[in-house]
Amino acid sequence: MMRKIDISEKISNTAYIPIAIIAAILMVIPVYILFMTSFAVPSDILKPHPDFFITRFTLDHWKNVFTSGNIWPPFKKSFVVATMTTIIAIIIAAPAAYVIARMPSKIKYAVVLSLFFTRMFPDVGIALPIAVQFIKLNLMDTYLGLVMAHLIVNLPFAAWILVGTFETIPKDLEEAALVDGTSKLTALMRIIMPIALPGIAVTAIFVWLNSWNEFTYALYLTISDRTLPLQTYYYVQRGGIFDSATYAAVLTIPVMLVTFFLQKYMKSGYLAGAVKG
Amino acid sequence: MKKFYTKLIAVLIIISLLGTVIAGCGSKTQSEARKKVLKVSMGLGEAEWKVMKEDIFPPFEQKYGVKIEPLQIEAGDLIKKLDAMHKANAMDIDIITQDNMQLAPLVAKGLVEDLSQYRDMIPKEVIPSLVPVGEFDGKLYFMPYRPNVEIAFYNEDKFNEYGLKLPTNWDELLQVAKTFKEKEGIGRVIIKENLGPDSTVQMFDLIRSAGGDPTVLNDEGSIKAFTFLKELQPYLSPDSKKADWNTPVEYLAKDSVYLVENWPYTANVLVEQYGKKNILAYHGWAGPVKESHVLGGEVIGIPTGAPNKEMAIKFMEYLMSKEVQEKLVTKLGWPSMRSDAYGKVAEWQKPYFEAINEALKHAEPRPNLVYWADVDKAINGALREIIFEGKDIKTTLDKYHNMIEEAKKAAESK
Amino acid sequence: MSYVNFVKKYKLEIAMILPLLLYILGFTVYPIIQTITLSFQDQYTKAFTLANYKEIIGKTEFKQAFFNTIALTFISLTLEMTAGLVIALILKRNFRGKGLLRSLMLVPMGVPTLVSGVAMTYIFGLNGYFNAFLQKLRIIELPVDWASGGFKTLLMVSIADMWKVTPLVILLLLAGLESIPDEVYEASNIDGATVWQTFKYVTLPLLKPSITMALILRAIDAFRIFELVLVLAGRATPVISTFAYDEYNNYANAYTSAAASTILLLIIAVFIVSYLKIAGTKEER
Repeated sequence: MMRKIDISEKISNTAYIPIAIIAAILMVIPVYILFMTSFAVPSDILKPHPDFFITRFTLDHWKNVFTSGNIWPPFKKSFVVATMTTIIAIIIAAPAAYVIARMPSKIKYAVVLSLFFTRMFPDVGIALPIAVQFIKLNLMDTYLGLVMAHLIVNLPFAAWILVGTFETIPKDLEEAALVDGTSKLTALMRIIMPIALPGIAVTAIFVWLNSWNEFTYALYLTISDRTLPLQTYYYVQRGGIFDSATYAAVLTIPVMLVTFFLQKYMKSGYLAGAVKG
Repeated sequence: MKKFYTKLIAVLIIISLLGTVIAGCGSKTQSEARKKVLKVSMGLGEAEWKVMKEDIFPPFEQKYGVKIEPLQIEAGDLIKKLDAMHKANAMDIDIITQDNMQLAPLVAKGLVEDLSQYRDMIPKEVIPSLVPVGEFDGKLYFMPYRPNVEIAFYNEDKFNEYGLKLPTNWDELLQVAKTFKEKEGIGRVIIKENLGPDSTVQMFDLIRSAGGDPTVLNDEGSIKAFTFLKELQPYLSPDSKKADWNTPVEYLAKDSVYLVENWPYTANVLVEQYGKKNILAYHGWAGPVKESHVLGGEVIGIPTGAPNKEMAIKFMEYLMSKEVQEKLVTKLGWPSMRSDAYGKVAEWQKPYFEAINEALKHAEPRPNLVYWADVDKAINGALREIIFEGKDIKTTLDKYHNMIEEAKKAAESK
Repeated sequence: MSYVNFVKKYKLEIAMILPLLLYILGFTVYPIIQTITLSFQDQYTKAFTLANYKEIIGKTEFKQAFFNTIALTFISLTLEMTAGLVIALILKRNFRGKGLLRSLMLVPMGVPTLVSGVAMTYIFGLNGYFNAFLQKLRIIELPVDWASGGFKTLLMVSIADMWKVTPLVILLLLAGLESIPDEVYEASNIDGATVWQTFKYVTLPLLKPSITMALILRAIDAFRIFELVLVLAGRATPVISTFAYDEYNNYANAYTSAAASTILLLIIAVFIVSYLKIAGTKEER
């Protein structure tokens, strides 16, 4: 029997390419603008109708930013904090997620929803009490303090994705291992974790990006040792358009590298479990 | 295997506990080392910090054998940070310079030390109007440091293009705004209306220059000011509602606004960073009664519980000294708090410096009221309702006047 | 099973979940409770009072903020979910450059909101690229003031927010899409269904759990929108977050700020509960 090709199929078959292209362009435009401004000759931008496609280039802004040396400490701090946050988040959230995934369904649902309770409060409301607590613990300007603050924001999210990941791993696997006489802990480490690895990778990417990006807690918890987003904002306020565009561009580069290389791990199957829960 | 993992987890826990202890400990040896450091917080641009680090700090460091650790903190953020540190009983900043319009919260939250006993430190050559701004309830909390005032930046090319003179009074201002709007189809003059601290300053100028008192808000001068603003509104730039202390710089740089009052650092960014030669400044315009500009600037304070208070007091004195004040003039183009500090300003800064000094002649400080927040709210509320919502001027001003009166009564009864 | 036995049997699990629970309890639940308590305290006497709530509810700004927050959330959610769904459907196909498209889609996620806000002002500002674009196409003559308030400002903020957030929606929906077994599509194919019919009667229902999760996740953040509003629209278009921020920052009133934050919490909770009730909780397969 020949299947008729209907209109909606025709439309979707032809339309998807242009839509995809337009979407990709739109996604990239703001980043393009930042990069472009950072390479632009000032007078091409400082006019009522700034150029969108610049014809003249200058490396001056980038030179200034890098020779002043002001960019490396914040870069290092952001990088280290993001990486440490990611590692610790996984260490805390993964085992917990495993336990939650194995809970009876109703309890599990309640636990997962309550994890989100913590995200429902505007940052302005809790940033101060948290900052006070942290300062009491002598964590001002420290890497540890910032990591802990970032964990607050990221743990619920990480736990949620990982619960989904663990849910897709059938219980029979562990049960088979247990029958064979291995301890619970070994079964966990040797059998479950490797299978969950891609899901863990996805979580790691999200957490890393969120931490690299984070602004509010950094504002409260740093005095002299700024993170890269804070430093960028300093230039947005005090510096010129070109300095801040360059900083913003630098801020985006690791993001693009990380997402580009790790996007093959983003096989969305790992998020599928999260969604089913 | 299980034993191994258990041991591993135990070790990890111990390490992290140790880590926290180490982070917090060492306080004994730390406090001696701490006395050798003076942590100074200011809100400055990069070029300004350069001058501080190269010209202002070293002589003090050498004289007293201390290391000055500079902290870049903006006025609004400073309140938050001091608050957090104070609540945690862990004040780590020794001395601050703060925008004189953001002082009340610091005093209200008990974040700064009472400096009344050091009143004699204030040099007798100080410009008298700069002292009261640091006084609250009869006590001195802040020392004068540098006066500042907004000046009117204008786009010379555009004024020349349409053959316009710089406005010196309200009628001329209205004319200029109208001309730009007619010729270009869109307003090019900004009166700050961002419903925040910046529009409060702007309204202060307008009300006072019409002979009114902004803390009364429904007197004749205030009514005149709002009436004028309503008349001017259709010819203003739409960016007026996004104009704070920072955005006007960009608007001027992009030639999208041709006249706006802003703080002098604008010139530094425009000239040094952007190389714009066509933006100049003058002292601004007068109202029907007089010319009035809010006296801004910065003052020096010492946070409550500062670890190195003695050194901070010395630094305070140092900043107010003739030698330092003259350097601030020459190197930064900052007008001095002392009448005896002279300096030669850099060539490119001269026109702006003149504008600042001219404007300072008409500068009036804001009153230091405990219920300042309510005044601010009232002024911006009136601005919103009258200008954005088109409500009747008299009734709205009466309403907000009552609001201020209530706040005043509540404050006085405490 | 008695308590002791329970703990003994599950000591590994308890050890694994404890860090997470303690951390969240100590560092999130506790501060939230602190702030909520603050909202019920009188500014000067610290006695229990509803004065803070009365004060802010009476203000026009708060009413505007309330309206704007809800309107913004609905506009944003509609735009994000639609765009996310369309792009997720596209990414489900196989075509050259799929990997490239996928990595491009993720780029916005790593840019700090504040920075993206600045980039958006270059686009939507009075003299921004968007106006210039419209002028070139002769759609408008004079630049449009997108920030002047009203629907177009809400639209502008929504689009700016959408840029940053759609990647997450795409990933979540794509996850759901890819978990729909191919047999289902084959079956509907054999039945002679059109692409549109397949979409409406097969894909959508099976996708419901994904959509629900994405919607809830996004709603929580959309109600709390903050930096973008400040940067793009200023205070003339308040939302609850900026209102709470101003109360604390500019007016030094931590109490009314806390009250505003608590109200926001309530709104979000009400939304989620009602949505779940209306949309049904778990998937029906």
